[in-house]
Amino acid sequence: MRKFTIILAVLFASTVARAQADYTKSLSGIQWVKIESKADVTVKTHSSNELLIKSGPSMKTPERAKGLKLVGEGGTDNTDVGFSVIQDGSTLIVYNLRKSGDAEIYLPKNQNISVKSTWNGDIEIDGFAGEIEADAQLNGSVRVSNVNGPVTANTLNGELAVTFGTVKQDSPISLYSTNGAVDVSLPSNTPANLSLSTLNGNVYTDFDIKAEEKNGMRSLLGRNIKSTINGGGVNLSMKSTNGNMYLRKK
Amino acid sequence: MENEHVLDLIPEYLDGSLDNETMKNIQRHLEKCPQCQQEVKEMEALLKAFKNDVVPVPSERLKSRFEEALEAEKAAMGKVVPLSSKTKKYDWASSVLKIAASIALLVASFQMGSVFQQKKIDQELAELKDENLNMKQTAMLSLMENQSASKRIQGVAYIDEFENPDEAIIQALANRLLNDENDNVRLTAFEALSKYTSSETVKHVLIQALEKEKNPSIQVAIIQTLVQIQEKKAAEPMKKLLENEDTQPFIKEQIKAVLPSLT
Repeated sequence: MRKFTIILAVLFASTVARAQADYTKSLSGIQWVKIESKADVTVKTHSSNELLIKSGPSMKTPERAKGLKLVGEGGTDNTDVGFSVIQDGSTLIVYNLRKSGDAEIYLPKNQNISVKSTWNGDIEIDGFAGEIEADAQLNGSVRVSNVNGPVTANTLNGELAVTFGTVKQDSPISLYSTNGAVDVSLPSNTPANLSLSTLNGNVYTDFDIKAEEKNGMRSLLGRNIKSTINGGGVNLSMKSTNGNMYLRKK
Repeated sequence: MENEHVLDLIPEYLDGSLDNETMKNIQRHLEKCPQCQQEVKEMEALLKAFKNDVVPVPSERLKSRFEEALEAEKAAMGKVVPLSSKTKKYDWASSVLKIAASIALLVASFQMGSVFQQKKIDQELAELKDENLNMKQTAMLSLMENQSASKRIQGVAYIDEFENPDEAIIQALANRLLNDENDNVRLTAFEALSKYTSSETVKHVLIQALEKEKNPSIQVAIIQTLVQIQEKKAAEPMKKLLENEDTQPFIKEQIKAVLPSLT
């Protein structure tokens, strides 16, 4: 009898585990992965060429919703982890249907990704070498770390923080925030053309940067600093309308 | 040898210019061969005829008459007077002038050549520059349609390469400012356009953008530019923004501060 109970327990556990299985989808033929979410999103790298959405405890479907599908603006849950995943040509659109809880998404290192937070969700992106676009449209923050590729990111009210690894590419980097701080860490030997401007904030940096004034005229956007470091290279543009700006040597 | 015809050797045989052995061989052959004998006879006859023929020579009288005619012709022609060379006096001044003149000619032609060359090079450079600008324009316009926001920003930033961007470029930038889904691209497009506020097209586009734009950072930048150029038509969209609930408080304050200067 005890044996039987154990077997039953194991069987039950395995069914639960299967129900809680992670979602994976092959990325062959996919150039861009676009992620949209109202809740927090963390995007990390893994070694296989597929999209993996972790199902964590926060992904649990309420008891009452048993047998029902989660639906939202972005479509219907076709992944069993609260996401709608649709392929559109060479773009994979990954829509987080839940409005709370964390989502953890894994993608290959060289994937081009575009992440949008439309409500309060914070965006966290770590370790990518492809192109990164991040857009926190309302209150979310954006934190991008250990990236090499071009980054295009903006936030409205949240903070925008980017930590670069070696920057070798020549596509421009554009970072700005309306009300949040912009905080960038860059290896000290990065060759770059910097453009820093802020309307009501202040600029702090330990790079050797001098404000360049053309014929004593001030730029249209208030305090606008243009400077080259390490002989010039990639165009790095940082803007903040009301927040402070921090540019650090890594 | 004895049985071969000797037709080729007959003239030499008759002439006696062959060596003894060949002569004997030919004689031996001739004894047997009636065909060759015939040939020899004919050849002998021909040679005899040559010898007997007398070459006609002009008579003495004819010769003297020719000489006379020649002399008469010579006398009839005008006398040819050789030009005596001028006194060879050493004139150093004129030689120096000559040398100077030739040097001057040389220098002048060289200068002329280099001027023409320069003109040609300038023209070629201008053509090359033109071609280069065309290529840049094509690159710029195609980059602005790229799927990647970073590439679109790169395309917009190409504006710095053009001193006088044409309508196609301004239109493409306007398109980015008004329609691009990425805020960073729109902001970069605005910054590019804000350098050409003297253009009516650009003014019009900025007012359109102010009516449409939702991003406060871009809104405030457009407002500042329009106030700076004192564009009166901007007052209307600004009032609308003041009435709109979604407009950020700091934008409203900004508008309140600048609106009196426009109305």
